[in-house]
Amino acid sequence: MPIVLEKLSHIYQQGGPVATTALEEIDLTIGDGELLALIGHTGSGKSTLAQHLNGLIKPSSGRVLLDGRDINAPGEDTRKLRFKVGLVFQYPEHQLFEETVYKDIAFGPKNMGLSGEEIEARVRAAMDMVGLPFEEIKDRSPFEVSGGQMRRIALAGVLAMRPQVLVLDEPTAGLDPRARELLLSDIQRLHREGTTVVMISHAMDDVARLATRIAVLEKGRLAMEGPPEAVFARYEELTRMGLDVPQGCQLTRALRGIGGPEIPDCYLLESLADALAAFLKGGGGDAA
Amino acid sequence: MLRDITLGQYYPVDSLVHRLDPRTKILLTVLFIIAVFMAGQLYLYGFILAFLCLAVYLARLPARMIIRSIRPMRILLVFTFVLNLFFGSGETALIRLGPVVIWQEGLLNALHFTLRLIFLVMGSSVLTLTTSPVTLTDGLETLASPLKVIKFPAHEMAMMMTIALRFIPTLVEEADKIMKAQTARGADFESGNLMARARAMVPLLVPLFVSAFRRAGDLAMAMEARCYHGGEGRTRLHVLKIGKRDLIAFLVMAALYLALLLPRWL
Repeated sequence: MPIVLEKLSHIYQQGGPVATTALEEIDLTIGDGELLALIGHTGSGKSTLAQHLNGLIKPSSGRVLLDGRDINAPGEDTRKLRFKVGLVFQYPEHQLFEETVYKDIAFGPKNMGLSGEEIEARVRAAMDMVGLPFEEIKDRSPFEVSGGQMRRIALAGVLAMRPQVLVLDEPTAGLDPRARELLLSDIQRLHREGTTVVMISHAMDDVARLATRIAVLEKGRLAMEGPPEAVFARYEELTRMGLDVPQGCQLTRALRGIGGPEIPDCYLLESLADALAAFLKGGGGDAA
Repeated sequence: MLRDITLGQYYPVDSLVHRLDPRTKILLTVLFIIAVFMAGQLYLYGFILAFLCLAVYLARLPARMIIRSIRPMRILLVFTFVLNLFFGSGETALIRLGPVVIWQEGLLNALHFTLRLIFLVMGSSVLTLTTSPVTLTDGLETLASPLKVIKFPAHEMAMMMTIALRFIPTLVEEADKIMKAQTARGADFESGNLMARARAMVPLLVPLFVSAFRRAGDLAMAMEARCYHGGEGRTRLHVLKIGKRDLIAFLVMAALYLALLLPRWL
């Protein structure tokens, strides 16, 4: 179910003395099976945009279409919509509240009005998806497990609703490298299994690795949009916006800067390594 | 969702009253309240009204803000008036309607109590409208510090109040975020009967408390890291000073007292 944003604008405290425009005329389509990365500087409107996708906030003007239907139209059941578009907030572990891990993950499915067996099946599957051992931790308090596990419990809480679209707001912020790797591979697997994913991130290397498309926001406007190679090719513009570029890009540029070999732009370290290997094998080794 | 909550009612303009020492304003408010209860004759409220008008004028407060301050009290005011009016007893009956009698004394009492309540609220509003919460706590701390002799923890009380005030907006923001996160999981805060709604608050309140405790722990650690050890020997960035305008303010208050007390002596 594609999500289409049509001239979406959002103004906080509209009409008030401190009205601020968070989003301005955004046109964006999120197709089925995509993994769209939303990048931009702090305050560029990424989180505001994400919260529009499941109707948590309403646009000041413009429309959000899910499967061609305006989600904010009168008569639309926004609560049902939220089960289709799952939103995982920044630091989602701060929303855990139940006595046991099981009950917390079951909160969403329970709100959907599912039967007990169905809920159990979904909790089990969701925990499985994020690599949490069901029998081992289902009866533990969500407050006594590790930070990385808490994050994955919170993620499972959203996954248990089986959303067709998963929106993640900086899913790896504040995690240690190991927990981060685990979480990223979970996200990648979900995407491969057919879930549409929208991911807000500051970590360009993660974006480079996972995204099938990138949208760049700057001061509430859609500044760039396209496949990773096209967006990362606009290295200077991204840097000017105060954004990072993946290490692969930086290294390619650095090599060119010191008169290194002529190799194509590579945003992944792996493809850069391949390109260099090909170059060396090709007999151009005397340049280095 | 929760963002529209305004806390405190400080009206930030620069005025003579705003610049008064908070201690002066606190003491004047107490004196004003005593004055309101001293007025024995109805016409004496004229002086009190004049004093209040002067204060509001000098504070550059819009009159509607002061009038609005009694709005939350309106039901109480009506009750006070009606109860005193009908249930008083006296000697001179004004109106007789079957078993219902309105006595002159009842009417007087009703007027006295209602006016006193109104002035009391309006007077203290001038204090809170012209003094920021932090300044107010500073003033309270200095005023209460003589009580340290009897082991009253004046500094600690003031510090707790300041911290509480400082964290209210933070917690409001946090509550808003958690509420959205739970809404995204299908939580429903708006429908159902009272019990259902109370139960719906659990997913909001538990994370909010957890986060408040976490913040409290962090803050305590940060304060300790900066060698905070209570009020002893602690100096201030802004030292409160009593100036000429504070003395003038007290003189005006003295004039009000004189106006209220003279009729008793004459």
